[in-house]
Amino acid sequence: MEQQATHLNDIFQALADPTRRAVLGQLRAGPASVSELAQPFDMALPSFMQHIRVLESSGWIRTRKVGRVRVCTIEEEPIVAIEGWLAEQREVWEARTDRLEVFVTTATTENTPE
Amino acid sequence: MTHVNPDLDLTLTRIIRAPRQVVWEAWTDPVKLEQWWIPSPARCQVQELDLRPGGAFVTLYSEDGEFFGPHVSGCFLDVVEGERLVFTDTLHGGWRPADAPFMTAVITLRDHPEGTEYRAHVMHKSQDDRDNHEKMGFYDGWGTVADQLAALVEQQEP
Repeated sequence: MEQQATHLNDIFQALADPTRRAVLGQLRAGPASVSELAQPFDMALPSFMQHIRVLESSGWIRTRKVGRVRVCTIEEEPIVAIEGWLAEQREVWEARTDRLEVFVTTATTENTPE
Repeated sequence: MTHVNPDLDLTLTRIIRAPRQVVWEAWTDPVKLEQWWIPSPARCQVQELDLRPGGAFVTLYSEDGEFFGPHVSGCFLDVVEGERLVFTDTLHGGWRPADAPFMTAVITLRDHPEGTEYRAHVMHKSQDDRDNHEKMGFYDGWGTVADQLAALVEQQEP
């Protein structure tokens, strides 16, 4: 639970930056190299690499070296994790209501067990 | 009466085929609440169910039936006999602020031709907590981020 919360914080924090959001937007079109991704930004490469590292460590992207080029690919997991959080809360409450329903409907048709 | 924020809240409505008073008692009688509040085989112990504004709502949870650990520790905000229960874990009993606030739940019961209309509206805390503020400064919560996420996802649509 704690670990999951930390993971979600990382995911959201990674998203809370316009450069990183733009990079993710670009990667939606398909994998790209770091230099391709850096092109639209007026930013020194080391600073840009920091953004890439934040995206990678939070799980938004995966990078791999192909020859001398580092290629980035977007991951689906963070979006699933974000959707999963509220879905989990919903499951808890749905299941709770199921149990309440079973409890009260059995309690009215039969005599309440002690 | 309560505003629903789709990014942070969940609502569920269910028609339960039992009289409203029976549903109300299942919620407010500790012996009954223990029987459905936590999924079996885990066991529930209702430690406090003080049905008045400011009253404590404390349930414990046990895997083995011997050692009971914390489950919910909250405070009732509103109790309308037979109709409405509002509680939060933002506060402990007696209005004392809690360490890790997470949600407020509004449970509403209404008569329905087939029994009871049961509605739960659960509001969650926004994630713009201290950590985020310290690290990011400008980050202002799940709502904003969800908008950003939606924009991002829409970008990929052909």
